[in-house]
Amino acid sequence: MKMRWLIVFFPVVSVVLISLLVKEDAANATAPQGAAAASVATSPKKSLSAKNPEEVTIPDTTLAINSSTPMSQRIVHYEIDAHYDATRHIIDGNEVLTYHNLTGQPLDHFPFHLYQNAFQPKATWVREAKLIGSRDTTYDKWEEKEYGSEDIKRIEVVGQGDLTSKLHYIQPDDGNKDDKTVVDLPLLKPIAPGAYVQFKIAFHEQMPETQARSGWKRDFVLGGQWFPKVGVWWHGAWNCHQYHAMTEFFADFGVYDVKLTVPQFEVVGASGVKVSEVNNSDQTKTLAYHGDDIHDFAWTASPRYKVKDDSVFQGQMGPVRMIILMQPAHWSQLERHEKILRESLDHFERWYGPYPYKTITLVDTEPGSAAEGMEYPTFITGGTSWFMPGGLYLPEVVVEHEFGHQYWYGMVATNEFEDAWMDEGINSYSEVKVLDSILGPNTSFINLAGITLGEREEQRLSYIGVADDDPIAQNAYGYYSGNSYAGITYGKTASVLLTLEGIIGQDTMDRAMRTYFMKYRFTHPTKEDFLKTVEDVSGKDLRWYFNQAIYGSPVLDYEVAELNSSPVNWYEEKKSGEKKNDKDTVYQSTVWLRRKGDFLMPVELQINFDNGEKVREHWDGQSRWTKFSYQKKAKVESAEIDPDHKILIDRNDFNNSQTAEPDGRPARKVSNYWLFLTQWVAQFVAWWAV
Amino acid sequence: MTENRGLLSGGWAMVTHNKRYIFWFWLLNMTLAEFGTAAFRNQAHAVLDQSLYSDKLVHGFNLSVLIEMVARPEFGPTKAPTMAAVYFITLFFITTALFLPGVFQGYAANYRLPRDEFFRACGRNLWRFIRLLIVADIVLGIVCGILFGIEGALVKKAGDSTNELLSFEVHMITLAIIFLAMTVTRIWFDLAEVDLVLSDQNAVRRSIATGFRSAFSALGRLLASYVLITVVAAVVLIGGLWAWMHMVPASSVWGAFWVGQLTLLLLLIPRFWQRGVAVAYYQQRMLVPAVRPEPIIPEPVPAAVVSSPSPIPNIPAAPQES
Repeated sequence: MKMRWLIVFFPVVSVVLISLLVKEDAANATAPQGAAAASVATSPKKSLSAKNPEEVTIPDTTLAINSSTPMSQRIVHYEIDAHYDATRHIIDGNEVLTYHNLTGQPLDHFPFHLYQNAFQPKATWVREAKLIGSRDTTYDKWEEKEYGSEDIKRIEVVGQGDLTSKLHYIQPDDGNKDDKTVVDLPLLKPIAPGAYVQFKIAFHEQMPETQARSGWKRDFVLGGQWFPKVGVWWHGAWNCHQYHAMTEFFADFGVYDVKLTVPQFEVVGASGVKVSEVNNSDQTKTLAYHGDDIHDFAWTASPRYKVKDDSVFQGQMGPVRMIILMQPAHWSQLERHEKILRESLDHFERWYGPYPYKTITLVDTEPGSAAEGMEYPTFITGGTSWFMPGGLYLPEVVVEHEFGHQYWYGMVATNEFEDAWMDEGINSYSEVKVLDSILGPNTSFINLAGITLGEREEQRLSYIGVADDDPIAQNAYGYYSGNSYAGITYGKTASVLLTLEGIIGQDTMDRAMRTYFMKYRFTHPTKEDFLKTVEDVSGKDLRWYFNQAIYGSPVLDYEVAELNSSPVNWYEEKKSGEKKNDKDTVYQSTVWLRRKGDFLMPVELQINFDNGEKVREHWDGQSRWTKFSYQKKAKVESAEIDPDHKILIDRNDFNNSQTAEPDGRPARKVSNYWLFLTQWVAQFVAWWAV
Repeated sequence: MTENRGLLSGGWAMVTHNKRYIFWFWLLNMTLAEFGTAAFRNQAHAVLDQSLYSDKLVHGFNLSVLIEMVARPEFGPTKAPTMAAVYFITLFFITTALFLPGVFQGYAANYRLPRDEFFRACGRNLWRFIRLLIVADIVLGIVCGILFGIEGALVKKAGDSTNELLSFEVHMITLAIIFLAMTVTRIWFDLAEVDLVLSDQNAVRRSIATGFRSAFSALGRLLASYVLITVVAAVVLIGGLWAWMHMVPASSVWGAFWVGQLTLLLLLIPRFWQRGVAVAYYQQRMLVPAVRPEPIIPEPVPAAVVSSPSPIPNIPAAPQES
């Protein structure tokens, strides 16, 4: 009897238990996502526990966005549990990466970025930085604190076992065998199209003193590019470049569930939304963050941040919480930061499209760190100092620029390795437009003590010095120099697009930009996607312009070469005593124009006569020179190419115009400054030395 | 304070009685600077004169136009105008040293020093002054070198602090200390210069020693006077720049020129005032008290030989110690 009961009891109980387990897994796999995020916060073991390949999926959470459905095609789901040792600047972490193979073909190997390995003396990043410069350090001498490393201690492919021994570094760009910024993992079995694969990774990381907007400085840390990150399958191949001195990043959209354990005294900010904060018994605390439809995750910690997190911007898709972490000495500038962030949000939403995320975190990083001015999804760093006069708009420029990257990089996620101009350049164009709108066209960079500088002028200045160095369309790591990368990628692109605005009209350009954003947000568009969008919206064939401005490096320089006015009857001698009325004299006036560069572009010309008459001419700009002649009872006073100042890519603005009579005032004025300075220095030296 | 006022007012009186020196030094500086900036001016005229784009420099001050001007190949290398300015600054320094003995002589005289005496003092003291300046600049160089070295190390150390302002505060404090140390050194050598000229001292080392002793025997008074005058100079400079920025229309090229020159002219006054203080102090404290010679007791001589006793020279009494 007993035996009979046991035979019945055990199978029944087993069936019930198995059913419950299966149900729970299924619930986890498909749960709407506040619940999934909450489970991350409350059940860390479960969140990092790998599942059978057949059971995994990418969560369709919407906890961090103002949308009820996912906004991107989610390829990856990162679940990271990381501990930061603030004394030694070390991160030890466990990462579960779920990858959805939407490539349409089986994948038999996966490359991973290990960005922090860039900061080693023989790495490509440091080699290039020493050779062509970087914005952070000159590497005059190597210091141990600049060392960074990122090691995968163990990697397991769920269903295929521990494949750590299969890992091998690759150098797809330059073959530098000492570069360890990309590691490749061949699989035992390929991942079928449409299938998921899960990687369990244990990693160890030594952060450097801040370089390339990542690392520590004093007791501050910025965790950027800090975890093993899979490459992007793009155009039929893996796109996983080495980390170069001039490159940024490229990654797939997905979901991030990140737990950070840091000392309890740290104030932390991060991408996404915070879902929990728990104090641990060992004087640490664990913070959990969740991000939807983002392609990277960054965080920062410092014991001294002052935080303002109660400001809300009412966006088109819902409220956006503005979290601002300021240095104590910069607290008085909080209002400036908040104002420009709010106005940037407003302008971008009105001009390009909605900002869908629930948060934007602005971090005023440690002074003197190389962490200023950086963008990560929903997380940006500003740039200011304790002394910042009101008319010097550096904080505004940096904050606006980095916020702009939420659109041009964050949502329109172009390949920053290969098309840096599509994030930095298009963003610089937006920066000019937005800052001109907020701070005034000629004063959007400096408006201090009578000295002015506009953002568009600043962009153009950075370009004209390197105008013939490189074309815009090329790999970010292929530029002639650091200056060339900056001048072309940022300055030239902005100037080219501002000039394009003059060609197709501001309204059309505005529509093209909005169309481009709305069409390609949450995707990885190519340069042709952008250029074709502009052509489609404008209805114009603009290849003549794009081929020169984007794909080529010819320089544009049109010149008013000469002006001349002489009486038609010059040969008639005045009789003695005869007084001729100048107003009756007919003059033969000629204006010569020259094309000094190889960039061909139609230009407008305005000729001003001394009787107040203005004449507009059009020149197709194809030949090397042309001339315009007139017979009028007036002399030419001046002539100006591009009188409406629509062309921003002309290398020399001085020769765009010429006056018949010289005006010495500008030169005298600047000479006065030089004279004053010289005299003052002379008196200063004499004060102390004699 | 009363004594300070005495020094300050004594120095100020010398400046006001000899205003022409300041004018000539200003004129000299401006003339030399005009030569020094000629290269810059010509280069600027070449780029700016016939372009409408330059107008942004007249009606306002557009930094972009200035930067683009300097970047233009036709403007030429920036080293040329810079070096020209450096040469003429050096020339002003040398000429200041050349004419300064005359200024001291003029300040010490209780009459308007004739031109020939002025230049005679300059010529007579030229070689002495050169030697003294070499010593002074070596001492100043050493003092500055050491102090700026310490300052750099302290600021760097403060830069490691998590208090962002600490490095700036250390910088300011150390700069203030350096300023005081340099001012003390300047007082020392100003007194040495005065002694050199007014006591017609050929042995420069003696004047240096005298200057050193005198400077440190009343350092508080002298330092307070010098610092106060330097504050006046700072106020003049800030006030001048303020007036330039706020009271002169951007398009008024000549207005800016004259405001600038007036500021520089006024800025010369404080340094001459300090030199006046040095001369006043010298006259009060450093003149070696002349010993009244013993009266010559006439010996009885044959009445036929004696005419009248020699008059006793009228030597001024040494000033009372206060």
